[in-house]
Amino acid sequence: MQVRPLLERRLLVVTGKGGTGKTTVAAALALAAAARGRRVLVVETGRDENVPRLLGWQAGAVGYAGARTPAGPFVMRMEPYAALAEYLNVRLGVPAVVARLLRQRAFRQLMDAAPGWRELLTLGKVWHLEQAREDARARFDWIVVDAPATGHGITFLDVPRVVVSAIRSGPLRRHVRWVEELVRDPERTLLLPVALAEELPARETAELVKRLREQVGVALDRVIVNAVARPPFPPALPDLDQRLAALARTPGPEPAVWAACARHLAARAALNRHYVGEIAAGTGLPVVELPLLAAGVGGPADLATLAAKLLEAPAA
Amino acid sequence: MSRNPDPAEVLLTRRVVACVGAGGVGKTTLAAALGLGAARRGRRTLVLTIDPAKRLADALGVGTLGPEPSAIPRPVLERLGVPEGGALFAMMLDMKRTFDELVGRFAPDAAAQERILSNRIYQHVSDALAGSAEYSAMEKVYEMSARPEFDVVVLDTPPSAHALDFLEAPERLIGLLDSRVVQLLLHPAFSAGRLGLRLFQRGAHQAFQWIERITGFGFLEDVSEFLLAFEGMSEGFRRRAESVRQLLFGPETAFVLTAAASGESVAHARDLLARLAAHRANVVGVVANRVRLWPDGAKPLPAPSERKGWVEQLAAAFEAQAGAAFPARDAARAALDMLDSYAAAVARDAQATAPLLAEASLRGCFVRQVPELPRDVHDLDGLAEIERRVFAKPNDQEKA
Repeated sequence: MQVRPLLERRLLVVTGKGGTGKTTVAAALALAAAARGRRVLVVETGRDENVPRLLGWQAGAVGYAGARTPAGPFVMRMEPYAALAEYLNVRLGVPAVVARLLRQRAFRQLMDAAPGWRELLTLGKVWHLEQAREDARARFDWIVVDAPATGHGITFLDVPRVVVSAIRSGPLRRHVRWVEELVRDPERTLLLPVALAEELPARETAELVKRLREQVGVALDRVIVNAVARPPFPPALPDLDQRLAALARTPGPEPAVWAACARHLAARAALNRHYVGEIAAGTGLPVVELPLLAAGVGGPADLATLAAKLLEAPAA
Repeated sequence: MSRNPDPAEVLLTRRVVACVGAGGVGKTTLAAALGLGAARRGRRTLVLTIDPAKRLADALGVGTLGPEPSAIPRPVLERLGVPEGGALFAMMLDMKRTFDELVGRFAPDAAAQERILSNRIYQHVSDALAGSAEYSAMEKVYEMSARPEFDVVVLDTPPSAHALDFLEAPERLIGLLDSRVVQLLLHPAFSAGRLGLRLFQRGAHQAFQWIERITGFGFLEDVSEFLLAFEGMSEGFRRRAESVRQLLFGPETAFVLTAAASGESVAHARDLLARLAAHRANVVGVVANRVRLWPDGAKPLPAPSERKGWVEQLAAAFEAQAGAAFPARDAARAALDMLDSYAAAVARDAQATAPLLAEASLRGCFVRQVPELPRDVHDLDGLAEIERRVFAKPNDQEKA
């Protein structure tokens, strides 16, 4: 199967279990696309802002208005009430009235408890930005959404379908249909699941992919497996841990400590190797592996390392 | 730091211990380890989990967990060192089902129950209504903690977009039921005569009109039908939500916060710690999970400047071991690279977790680090290892 390059899409939605590094992946993708001349937008959906910092932004929060980061991509964070105000302004055309409505305690109580609209407005805003034009061309030609973690990721993408089935007629239904069409359009939109090569994330990823296929109908063409540990020794010296354990003396730590560190790293690498295979088998999708960086992802140089890997065609 | 409690003390004195933290930090495993620790100290313990950690459940001999407590069989408990009198149960939270059950409990009659369960809005929103999933989880904790057969309930909290949603769920549900919009939708005629509400009603009427204009006709009809169906239940719901809130923030509940060893996870955990404190929740412990630590008994690595000649010494040792044909120098370099990368990982995790551990200690929490294990924790030995680490005395930890 020939997999289309990521750069040919318009909208990439990155999701995965908490702690899998999906935000890092979103930032690395944005950096890579910006370096190749794309006008990139990153939409953060969480409460915290992490992408701006990874892209070299030092000032305060970028917020809903967003800002261009030093590395190039434009980054914004979804704020549901700001998006609601924007939508109502467009629909009703009376900003002062909308502002009064949003300040009403009763209205806030109702909205705080009401489900689904946050996800819907987030996707609606993404749709709006996807449509936005500037100088007679698309304002952003490549959009990355750092979507909510797995369980919520499905709700997130499935909300348009649910709303369309719950609302019988009217303008909202029409608008939501446009959003639903964007989510389901394989020409424009791709979902990128990010996993770790461990038992629970592997199983959860297989379930995620299954439900997305059955329920949401969004395009999927690869799984990103993050933080894959490499074996600690070159292939020519596979038994170095045993050799270390058997030494009579070692510089610095005792031989047992050298051997314990070696065994630990080798076991982690073997574990990751096993679950990369499980993820490929469980999802039926090609896998893109990102290496574990021992000292963590520090800044743009580390991101660039990951970005180069991300743009490679996945191994079938 | 003698005033900081230790985990054993907490599990021997509280009725509910809630493990909180972001998704993917190992809450499920920690909840199981805390449950095991309580059982080993003679308590009859129930672990409420949201995660079907299937292999761990298999190892514990309970197979598929259901919505009723399953007892860990006696032979398994004996292997884990649980004395006579101690017991360990586990059950799964099925949050959707629990909310349907609540509707069943509070509905005045079968017809009202049926009306709600078949309402289109309910079917679409019951998963998300006012944090109903989180609320249902808290409700189950309340129900289980009141059962006489358990001394302590250990809760693995649901993965919510924001880890505190579940704590705020009772309040949000109460807030919604009390909200004037809902009261108005429920009792429009009743409230019409009251002066304070009349002013509001004009605004609300406007709000309804707008909602109708935005959403299209029919939507509000479904909503008010849904709310009307809830009429008569709301008082029961309200009282129950209040009791759940009192249990959670009362002296019988303790919170243990877990974080993974990354900057992102630690920042999230510190935010959570502050918000829990703002709710006056009793946070008693912080566990940094899957931390890369030096193996037991190892001293920190000396600085690179003090490691001159290590390659030569190692190469000589390898040559003495394996003979001149062995690529001793390559092996020595590979071993040193290996140790360097291990040291980098240890340093990174120590740096990432330090601010959280310091803050937790200042707040009077017990602080524990659980090392990253070479394998996933899905067997009894792995679970026992985590339990040992969590319940170790702090000075044992420093030695470790």
